Amino acid sequence: MNRYLSRLSLAAALASACAAVSFAAPAGATITLGASVQMSGGLANTGRYYKDGYEFAIDQINKAGGIKVGGKQEQLALKILDNQSDNNLSVRQYTQLITSDKIGLLLGPFASDAVLATSSVAEKYEVPMIQGGGASDQIFSRGYKYIFGTLPVASKYFESTIDAMDHLTPAPKTAALLFADDAFDVAVADGTRKLLQKAGLKIVLDERYSSNASDFSSLLSRIKSAQPDAVLVSGHETEVLNFIRQAKSLGVSPHFYSFTVGVPSADFRKALGKDADYAFGMTSWLPSAAEKDPWFGDGDKFAAAWHQRFGYAPDYHAASAVADVEAYAKAIEAAGSTDPKKVRDAIAHLDFPSLYGRIHFDAVGQISLPQTVIQVQNGKVVPIYGATGFIGKAEYPMPAWSKR
Amino acid sequence: MDLLWQGLVNGILLGGLYSLMALGLALVWGVLNIVNLAHGAFIMLGGYACYYMFSGLGIDPFIALPVTMAALFVFGYLLQRHLINLVIRAPMFNTLLLTFGIDVVLTYSAQIAFSADFRTINPSYAGAHFTWLGATIPLVRMIACAIAIALTLLLWLFLARTRLGRAIRATAQNLVAARLYGVEPRSIYALTFGIGAALAGGAGALYGVVSQLNPYIGVSLTAKSFVIAIIGGLESPLGVIAGGLILGLVESMTSLYIGATYTDVASFGILVLVLIVRPTGLFGRTT
Amino acid sequence: MKRPLARAGIVAAFVVLAGIPWIASPSIVQFGINMLLLAALAQGWNIIGGYTGYASFGNSVFYGLGSYGTAIAMLRWHLPFGIGLALGTVIAVIFAALFGRAILRLRGHYFAICTLGLAEVMTAIVSNLEITGRNTGLVLPLLRGDVLFYELSLALVVVATLIVAWIAHSRFGYGLIAIRENEEAAAAMGVDTTRYKVLAFSLSAAISALAGGIHAYWITFIDPVSAFDIGLNVKMIIVTVFGGPGSILGPVLGAFVLSGISEVLSTEISTVAGLFFGAVIVVAVVFMPRGVADLIRRFDKYRWRYFAENVRANRL
Repeated sequence: MNRYLSRLSLAAALASACAAVSFAAPAGATITLGASVQMSGGLANTGRYYKDGYEFAIDQINKAGGIKVGGKQEQLALKILDNQSDNNLSVRQYTQLITSDKIGLLLGPFASDAVLATSSVAEKYEVPMIQGGGASDQIFSRGYKYIFGTLPVASKYFESTIDAMDHLTPAPKTAALLFADDAFDVAVADGTRKLLQKAGLKIVLDERYSSNASDFSSLLSRIKSAQPDAVLVSGHETEVLNFIRQAKSLGVSPHFYSFTVGVPSADFRKALGKDADYAFGMTSWLPSAAEKDPWFGDGDKFAAAWHQRFGYAPDYHAASAVADVEAYAKAIEAAGSTDPKKVRDAIAHLDFPSLYGRIHFDAVGQISLPQTVIQVQNGKVVPIYGATGFIGKAEYPMPAWSKR
Repeated sequence: MDLLWQGLVNGILLGGLYSLMALGLALVWGVLNIVNLAHGAFIMLGGYACYYMFSGLGIDPFIALPVTMAALFVFGYLLQRHLINLVIRAPMFNTLLLTFGIDVVLTYSAQIAFSADFRTINPSYAGAHFTWLGATIPLVRMIACAIAIALTLLLWLFLARTRLGRAIRATAQNLVAARLYGVEPRSIYALTFGIGAALAGGAGALYGVVSQLNPYIGVSLTAKSFVIAIIGGLESPLGVIAGGLILGLVESMTSLYIGATYTDVASFGILVLVLIVRPTGLFGRTT
Repeated sequence: MKRPLARAGIVAAFVVLAGIPWIASPSIVQFGINMLLLAALAQGWNIIGGYTGYASFGNSVFYGLGSYGTAIAMLRWHLPFGIGLALGTVIAVIFAALFGRAILRLRGHYFAICTLGLAEVMTAIVSNLEITGRNTGLVLPLLRGDVLFYELSLALVVVATLIVAWIAHSRFGYGLIAIRENEEAAAAMGVDTTRYKVLAFSLSAAISALAGGIHAYWITFIDPVSAFDIGLNVKMIIVTVFGGPGSILGPVLGAFVLSGISEVLSTEISTVAGLFFGAVIVVAVVFMPRGVADLIRRFDKYRWRYFAENVRANRL
């Protein structure tokens, strides 16, 4: 029994030793930002934009000499952890970043539900979190003071699309609304429903589906029999991919369809090939020389530099991630300190132009950016409709699959 | 009415593919008494094997299918022979945990090797379809369904008519009886597991053509396979076909008439109900 | 003479654990909360899985019911946390008692798959109900009190361990073990197998639900997939089997060791952590199928041959 006990205590000691090892703080005199991002697991595909974006922005800022805090130039650093697409693990990692790594400035993970879970850690410890991955209205309706978001409001994702539809000839009269049942997409659908009604369109199908659904043949059959002029889908990239492929194989071709995600991403267009054509989408960001940036020059230069470094084209997730880091740089300089509370107040008062657009948070901590309507034409993303009206020619109505 | 007819067709086409997905799981479970939690990961690997032959070498996915199956057979054979056989007499939790561990290893290896990007096997005819009695029938789903049913029937014939097949069935009853066929149990186990993996691989190749692949599709496919195996029972491949078709139809009808978010309530509800009412499957013998 | 010594050692260990929040950093406290909740869950699974031999994948259902019961009581009915926790636990126990009667007739893999199906059904149902916030989840009020959550979790582990210790030495426990070893024989010996099994299932449910409720309030956000996570149920099994199923301290030990390992992995070499964790499971199942508790007990006798002996005993 004594031996048993000694082994037991040995095992316990081992366990606590294991625990202790992980709490060693990294050395260095730089300003460290902390993040826990989906680098593996189901969301790794989009999580990658955030990891790459955070790292790229920090390198670029450091290359320009870093940031000025109280008269001294300081470098930025990043401690980034892989949360394996597990929100519980992410919550633990953020706590660890705050309490044992003593990081008082957090960058967010991707996706609304991950942000919902992890932002309460930031709020609990009263450290700011600027995140570019969660847009659900739920995130900003809790009265939290330390959470800031650089994606535009979920409920207005389809606003510009519905405006654009009104100006097409013939203008769509009926619409089908399909949405996944997660926090973000439900928020999009709730907003879109009101916008459609306001625009006088008749909603002939309004259907929620399970996140990660892979078979859309029933929903597509219902669309085919309801014959809406326009189909608006709010979901995840894999679902949109399945939706389009199965639409083709069931011969479902409404005059107009648009998707909240997928269309801006290079990966998506590559997977679909020619079948991606005619799909409408939206983006809060497109590379543009008109968007001046303090570190990258402008949006175009940024996109080229990104492509050169990572070998793929950046989308709005990437730009949003870069904007998060830039917001910290500006806020720390303005605060003249890295004290989390002071930086938080400085973030709330930020107002600067960036490659992503104007960074200026409203009272609940979100920024407002117009969504530009885009369409895939011959495998390329073409901007169609922006805040100022049409900026490109829409290919409308979409031809039947057999006539392509 | 048209919608109902189209819904039935959708359900049957989906169900055919479902039955092939579950076939390997049911075989391994029925014969070896191993519930293979890595089954979905095998389907995923089969999909990737076919994808790389299609995109890298330009081989038509339906020609790549047998190659995929052969590769998965070898993989399954070796896995059973050198790893799973080591714990076969341990309590049930252990085989469950072992296959779970294998699933985790395969999933993460796939992510490292193939990246988390999603892939589709998209031959030029992938979107082709024809109309039959007013219902739209996607060509690829039709072929996939036909191949699935053909493979199921082949397995049934193999088990019923060949010496090796009879030895496998005898193993399911009693290890000692299996020795009478002059086949070593260790090889029988490995062979059976290999066949199960090959069927999963075939299902994966077809799945890649009608849907899309990423390293994480395995878990939900394993769960679906359970439902089918339970509805159809473990006794015969023909029961698995019926199980697959029933699940396909239930999902299709639920999605049409109740709501797309209720398909899981219906399919897993059936799983629980069947188990409570008739644990040997709707088509299995009652004990 | 030695037994009281061991007992004193264990009590001392728990006293030290109780004092940790006052000496350790907040991140250790929060690591502790996770570790202790996992230990409690494993201990709960130990009753139905380890002692009774039923491979339940339904404990995540009870965990989820505890989470949602607590969250709904607090958010929709504005009740205090304690009452919500009690409510969630009562719901889980009623659920276990009702379904237990029907599904505990199933043996082996069939029971495992049935409970797995139950977890999937619950996820799907909760994703469709208005009161549970559908699939968008529920946001609970934020409480800055990690010490409280830590001590609650520790108390739950202690209570669960005491229950298991009582089971191990009671008529009830002998009945459960008899059921595990040979259910027909147990029935022939006069064990009321149905009643025993349902009782074990309900006890297991109560512990899981309490853990779920504490976790929900602590993490402040729950949704169906995280509340009814089958992965968590698999973790309970892994931890218990690693520590030693059907032993009193095995599950707690397993939770401590594996939590430590996985914490190091996911912070230090995070990208391959998942892969490595899978490999650890495979190796552990092959070489030490009876868990750490058995390894500690019998290593002296066999030394390094212990591992080879295990493989020999279980291979085909």
